[in-house]
Order: sequence, then C-alpha cells, then structure tokens
Amino acid sequence: MNRVTLRKTLISCALLGGALILAIISMSLLGSERLPARESLCALASLGTSACGLTSDQFDILFQIRLPRILLAAAVGGSLATASAGYQAMLRNPLAEPYLLGISNGAAVGTMIALVFFGAIEWVRPLLAFSGALAATFAVYRLARGRAGATPERLILAGVIVTTFLSSVIVFVTTLMDATRIRSFTFWLLGDLSGTSKALLPVAITIAIVGALALTLHARSLNLLMLGERDAFDLGVEVGRVRVVVFLVASLLVGSSVAASGSVGYVGLVVPHLARLSLGSDNRISIPAAALGGALFVIVADTVARTIIAPRELPVGAITALIGAPLFIYLLKRV
Amino acid sequence: MCFLCLFVAMCAAVSQRTLIVVGLFLLAILFGCNSGARPALDGQARVIRVVSLAPNLTEIVFAVGAGDKLVGRTSYCDYPPEAKAVAEIGDTLHPSLERIIALKPQVVLISTSSQLEVFTQQLQDHNIAVYVTDPHDLEGVFRSITQVGEILGQKDQADLLVTKLRDRANAVEQAVKGKIPVRVFYQVSGEPLYTAGHDAFVTDLMRRAGITSVTADVPGAWPKYSNESALAAKPDAIILPTGGSMGSANSDVTEALRQSPAVLQGRVYKINDDYLTRPGPRAIDGLEAMARALHPDAFK
Repeated sequence: MNRVTLRKTLISCALLGGALILAIISMSLLGSERLPARESLCALASLGTSACGLTSDQFDILFQIRLPRILLAAAVGGSLATASAGYQAMLRNPLAEPYLLGISNGAAVGTMIALVFFGAIEWVRPLLAFSGALAATFAVYRLARGRAGATPERLILAGVIVTTFLSSVIVFVTTLMDATRIRSFTFWLLGDLSGTSKALLPVAITIAIVGALALTLHARSLNLLMLGERDAFDLGVEVGRVRVVVFLVASLLVGSSVAASGSVGYVGLVVPHLARLSLGSDNRISIPAAALGGALFVIVADTVARTIIAPRELPVGAITALIGAPLFIYLLKRV
Repeated sequence: MCFLCLFVAMCAAVSQRTLIVVGLFLLAILFGCNSGARPALDGQARVIRVVSLAPNLTEIVFAVGAGDKLVGRTSYCDYPPEAKAVAEIGDTLHPSLERIIALKPQVVLISTSSQLEVFTQQLQDHNIAVYVTDPHDLEGVFRSITQVGEILGQKDQADLLVTKLRDRANAVEQAVKGKIPVRVFYQVSGEPLYTAGHDAFVTDLMRRAGITSVTADVPGAWPKYSNESALAAKPDAIILPTGGSMGSANSDVTEALRQSPAVLQGRVYKINDDYLTRPGPRAIDGLEAMARALHPDAFK
C-alpha cells in the first residue's frame, strides 16, 4: 500500500472509529428509561467496574440490556455493510446487497430451520444461517453467469428469482408454524435486535471484526477484480481463490447478522455507497470505512427504533428502510 | 399499532420489500385493526347454520346452547371437545372462502375485522351475513355473548349465561375488594418481549382481579415492550399465559425480569392462556384463576 492510500485509510478509519465510540457512548444514554447522564458516563468510563451512584436497576439497564443491544447493532451493521462492500466489488455491481440478492433470505431460511428443529440449541442458528447464505450466494452466482458472462442486469434478475423463491419458502414455513410463534417471527423477519440471547453477542462481534479484516486484506485483489475477472487474472490475481474467500466471508457475515437480528435491509446498499462517494472506490479504504459506517448507521437506527414510541418498540428493519430508501433514491439521482 | 403497521407496510410496499409487507399484514391480523361490533344481519329468518372464525366465538356458540347450529370452525377452535366434530374451514388467518360457501352458512362470526376486511366483503358479496366483534373489556365479552345468543335464537339462554358469569365476576371483585392491588407484569411472549396494553381485554380482567398491570396505560392491545422499561417497572408478580393452546411456549420469564422482585419472591404465575386470550365465557375462569393466584388469602 502506498503512503498516500495508507494515510487516507488510517485517517478515515480513525475518524469513523471515533464517531463509532462516540455513538456507542451517547446512544447508551438514550432509551425508554431515563438514566442520570453523569453517573452513566462515569460507569461506562469505568467499563462497568464501578456503579458510580447508579442504582442496581439502572446499572442492569445500562450494562445488561442497553449496551449489549448497542454492541449487537454495531456487529450487525458492520457485518452487513462489509459483506455488501465485498459482494459489490466481487460482482462489479453497486446494487449487490444481501437483501436484494436473496442471501439474507437464504440465511433466514437456515435460521428458521434451526428454530423449528433445533430450537433449544443456540449455536446451530448462526451455523445454519451461514449455510443458507452460502447456498443462496452460489445459487445467485451460478444463475447470473450466462454465456456472455455475468452482466449487472442478469445478476439482479438472478437475485430477484432467488429472493422470491426463498420468500415463498419462508411464507410456507411460517404457515406451518403454530400461531403463537408467528408473531415473534414476523418481527424477527423485519430485523429486530431486542430478543437476542447474550450467548450470540461475542460470536457476532468476533465474526464482524474478523470478516472486515479478511475482506480488507483482499481489497487490492478486489480493486483489480473491478476491472473484470480476465484482466485481474492477467494482472496476477488468483481469481478463483479470491472469489471463494469473499463469498465465504460475506456469507459468514450475513449469516451471523441474520441469526442474531433477522433481515435488516438497506444497510448494505446505503453505507458502502456513502463510503465510496465520500472516500473514492479504492476498496482498501471503502471496505473498512463501510464496516465502521455500517455499525454507526444501525446503532442510530436502532436507537430510533427503541425510543421513538417508548416504552413500545419498532423493529429496526423498518427504520433502516425508512431512512435507507429515500437516501438511496437521493444517491441514485446524484450519481 | 395497526395504523402504524399499515403505514410501514405501505412504505415497505413502495420499497418492494415483499417480505415486510407479508410480515406486517400477519402482524396487523394478529393485533387487529378493530372497528368494534358490527352486526350486519338484517331481519333474516331463524338462523340455523353458522360458521365461527375464532375460538372464543366457537366457545360462545356452544355456551349459549347453539352448538348444533355450528357447521364450520377454525383449526384453533378446540373447546368444548364437541367442537372438534365440526368441519374445519382453515385457521383464523387463512379461512377458506370456498369451504365456507359450500357449508351454506347464514351467518359467519368473525373476531376482529382487521385484515379479514376483504374477506368479510367477499362473504357479504355471497349474501352471507357477518357478525364482527372485538371486545376490549369484560362488558364487551358479555355483549358478544348476548348478541351471538340473539342471532342464534338463544336469547334467554344467553341472558342466563351472562347473569351467571356476571355473578361470578362480581364475587371475585367482592372478594378482592380492599386488598392492596398487586403490581403485575403480564408477559405475552418473552423473546421478543410482548405485553398486554390498554386495549387488551385481559387488562380489564386484571383490574377486576385486584391487580395493577404495570403496562395498563401503554397504547394498543398487544404492544412490543422495551426490556429496560420492564426491568425498571419492578413488578411484584409476573403472569405467564401458557399451558393451553400455547403448550410449553412462554413458560419462562424473559431475561430482563430474571432479577425482578417477582422472580426473587417466587411470585411467577402460569395461567392457562386459553382463559386469558379468548374473550369468551371462560374469561371468567381466567379472572378467578388470576385473583386466586395473586390474592390467595381472599379465597380461604
């Protein structure tokens, strides 16, 4: 990496990282219950070792409920934005997004199977979600490759086919489920961060960080792949290997976030776009920037979801779509 | 709740997210866009063939002694046991229009108008009268019983039933009178957390049972509730509707409430969900069960 790129990467990551930490702290102060700001900040600064005058209930709200949820939002947002940035570079298509390509639906079907057949065993959920996402990714990729190669239109069409097919599978399975489970399930399908068990949080955070690092390490190859697979091959990129790595890592990221929170849409469409618009299309900068920006975006969206009609809640997917769709239209018009 | 759902569903429709639309419609059906009682039966002859699209209405039909007139029911209508002998017409969310028409009912009983509005219209297009009800309190349940009794020509028996049920309800209210109301969190489901809000008929049942629901003023019937607000409410007891149609679902207290005074004092009460979620005659069983669980000394 040359010095200018490295500097630009470090500066943008430092700025976004700072904004992320600021968001984690400030959004921890917002919620359906009012917490004293100074004491909460003091407790956060002590990393939970000191209560700083918070009552035990307030302390539990901050550290057992609010902070884990914010961290999960960060992991989910970071995962989805990173995976999308990877798909977009690999498939040379700015519209490649897990939700539009049916990959989220693949993960959702995997999670549903886990819930129906292995309801009690939590770690099966991300595993089957990952398998579902991977299967959907390869289905889309195979469908998109015609004799003339994978055109952007063909890719989106393949995504539509996979999405609608898997949607009907989901509808079919929900119909078979008993009524008492449908309600929680519809919320989950929309993307919901409230019901996740704490066991999955470290898994989701680890996968988000490892995934973002793995894709950033392949950013140079992805830059060359954006010229076309043949050109990249001529320039010495092991196209086959990079493709397998990107698809595996991206599926893992989508799988873990869907297993934790359902299908949160628009993150992968909006965030990498913003990253490329403001920082250029060099993946060495835009992938880590998308990871941090995605985390930031979902944290803010989820804070809106859990506070706007408090003590009631909205699913975060509704908020990301409400913010994301208009923003996306604006971006499309500008480009 | 409902209008919010529909609003978001519309937004989602614009953004072509089919799944959201389907999901929200299911949600809207479950929570109901209520338009209250809307009997549409005008001066028909004696009703002898009726279809029920909700378990509580099936229970009411049998309780007023008109079980022999029931020709169709949903797959969720499992009480009284005789009901299971009646033909099924689908579940509450997906009733089969064809099968209903084939049964030639004069009246179809519907629990909420919600997303079945199109369906209701289709029934009316086929000259089938519909009776729509959605009680928000015990008086509303009594009204449903009386009206269903009138429709089915069993007014006397319905009146008698309402009188008996009212006496039992009054007896409970009398027994808990003067007791200090217990602050209760009503957990509809734990993950994600749902509770009973202002418009749920079970909220009225709790009030009559000497219980203060900590979510009694939350708008809507079945709101999704904030984990931290549940924790902050520090309920003295928790009611888990479970064990009936729910099976073993909802038999654990949600994670946020594991350290609540209710759990620490062992005051978690599982009550048959069929008593508490079906606004029919057995709601009084639910009222008695809740009062006995929360105020045992009042029933010695």
